[in-house]
Amino acid sequence: MSQVPVTVLTGYLGAGKTTLLNRILTENHGRKYAVVINEFGELGIDNDIVVGTDEEIFEMNNGCICCTVRGDLIRVIGGLAKRPGTLDGIIVETTGLADPGPVAQTFFQDDEVRTRTRLDAIVTVVDARHFLLHVDDGVEAREQAAFADVILLNKTDLVSPEELARVEARLRQINPYARLHRTQKSAVALAEILGRHAFDLKRILEIEPDFLEQGHHHLHDHDHEHCDDPTHDHHHDSHHHHLENIGSISLTSDKPIDEQKFQRWISTILREFGTDIFRSKGILDISGASKKYVFQGVHMMMDGDWGNLWKDGESRMSKLVFIGRKLDAEQLRRGFAACATR
Amino acid sequence: MSEPGFAERLPPSRRVETGAWVSGLTYDRTGRTLGVACGDGRVWCIDTTNDSPPSPPEPAHRGVSLSIIANPSGDSFISGGDDGRLLRHGDAARELESFKGRWFERLAGHTKTATLAAVAGKEIVVYGASGRRVLGPHPSTVADIDFSPDGSRLVAAHYGGVTIHVLKPADAAPRSLEWKGSHVAVRYSPDARFIATGTQDNALHVWRLATGKDMQMSGYPVKVKQLAWSHDARFLFGTATSLFTGWPFAGKGPEGKPPIQFGDEGAGIMTAIAAHAADSFIAAGFDTGEVQVGDSKTRRSAVIKLAGDGQVSALAWSPGGWSLAVGTDQGVVELIDLRR
Repeated sequence: MSQVPVTVLTGYLGAGKTTLLNRILTENHGRKYAVVINEFGELGIDNDIVVGTDEEIFEMNNGCICCTVRGDLIRVIGGLAKRPGTLDGIIVETTGLADPGPVAQTFFQDDEVRTRTRLDAIVTVVDARHFLLHVDDGVEAREQAAFADVILLNKTDLVSPEELARVEARLRQINPYARLHRTQKSAVALAEILGRHAFDLKRILEIEPDFLEQGHHHLHDHDHEHCDDPTHDHHHDSHHHHLENIGSISLTSDKPIDEQKFQRWISTILREFGTDIFRSKGILDISGASKKYVFQGVHMMMDGDWGNLWKDGESRMSKLVFIGRKLDAEQLRRGFAACATR
Repeated sequence: MSEPGFAERLPPSRRVETGAWVSGLTYDRTGRTLGVACGDGRVWCIDTTNDSPPSPPEPAHRGVSLSIIANPSGDSFISGGDDGRLLRHGDAARELESFKGRWFERLAGHTKTATLAAVAGKEIVVYGASGRRVLGPHPSTVADIDFSPDGSRLVAAHYGGVTIHVLKPADAAPRSLEWKGSHVAVRYSPDARFIATGTQDNALHVWRLATGKDMQMSGYPVKVKQLAWSHDARFLFGTATSLFTGWPFAGKGPEGKPPIQFGDEGAGIMTAIAAHAADSFIAAGFDTGEVQVGDSKTRRSAVIKLAGDGQVSALAWSPGGWSLAVGTDQGVVELIDLRR
């Protein structure tokens, strides 16, 4: 059964999501998309299907926030699956204040949704002019940036180059790993946002063999130190602000990793801190294995699989990335180091 | 399965290819016509008394035909679609409701009281002897509904539990039974003592109506999307297992007792289930396309359709109980004659 790729579109109110959707729906791309929106807006509909739904956030009975799903999406995807012909993609627009967690988790948690569809990428549209205003008055703007695989830094024509640099630096502090496109009026080649295979374990390495070292590494390490040290906090308000801070941590190891130790460790970490870990990704050199082990997760949900063979002469490094809130770098570093084969 | 001549021992059947996902099928009250709701918006009315291949009808819904039931107050069928329309079929289809942007995914009918209920988002539209009523809004979109056996009540499953609406007298307050989580299927027991739901948490939940006490049966590999009580209310079956799995509700109930299990291993995961209205038979369809009929009394089962044709998406017994209709997600309909 072929799985329909799903793109999740997030972004603060007014960032340019609707403009982007209109672009997708009206561009002559010869593909057929279904778009799930919160309500019927002024959308050009030709070949495409537009479904309006209320976001229904369903927690599981165990009360675990990481098992929270979008009930309406499960229903809509079940309905779309019954249509004849194959969709080229489903695009899910979330409300401006939405936490991207439940949407993403729906694609791990629900068996039917998992069978019929695959999460392709989380795309976050950021308003260059207003991001710095929003980023500190609620968690939403930060979470949306943190979850992203692709960030459209939009409305760049409305800010000065200096402002743009500040916004970009702040975005990179939150999420150094997303692909970032500077746009005006949400104009971006659709190939940059659709069909990214950002969640496809087998393709992560093929498309982005160096996804953990995209030149942001440097910046990120620096910013990370910044996050860790309250005295570096430029916002004087705040311990609270610091605790709520969203950032990323990357860990590397040049020693082969013991598979069992790693599985035990990562499942404990995700179980205990999954609420605060938005995204995790990794490529591991498992001792004794000829293939790379790749994994990625959203909160507590995690998928792992064997990827490509290590090439001759390739340096067998293990790399792990966590994006989240209140990440304890030292604890993660120690825990990961202990997974190395002795 | 490797037994020679196995296929020859299957009951006779008639096959119709609709070409689109079968989202629901049902016999009309006479059993002469089978109504089939399909993913391409068509609603087929297949004459079961005549073997000639039916010609495809014009699509009734602009989108997907999501649901179909026998008209509880007459001949033919009622169907719902993702075009927000509820249609009464007959010589010509008549529009009963049109809700822009809502989906008519779940319908229920009660023939004795000639009452029709249709879910439209968080609300339920009810047509009965006293006219049209709208129930709700409920805390979330209603996932499933079912009439009590006497038709005096209608239960709605939604996020956070179920709501029991009293249809007569119309001004009686509804009763809420709470259990956190999303409830995706609901069925009254035929003796009206219990209400069972299937949940997003891969479990069954059952309330004992006399006391309001509830119980949970968990450990299913996926969510239980369809439920079936045996006609005598002795056993509750659900999909999502590889064998017939029936929880015993006779006497004091299932607390502390294991479920009965029977069936042929290897058929796959059960995706559709339907109980015979007057006997201890249960029909089960699997994700492999296989269909088995089990007997909750003897705990034996027989394969009546081999694997293939996609996964079984709908099952319906004929009113007399001699024929079983099977629909699959690849658009295949089989009418299986069980008289032998």
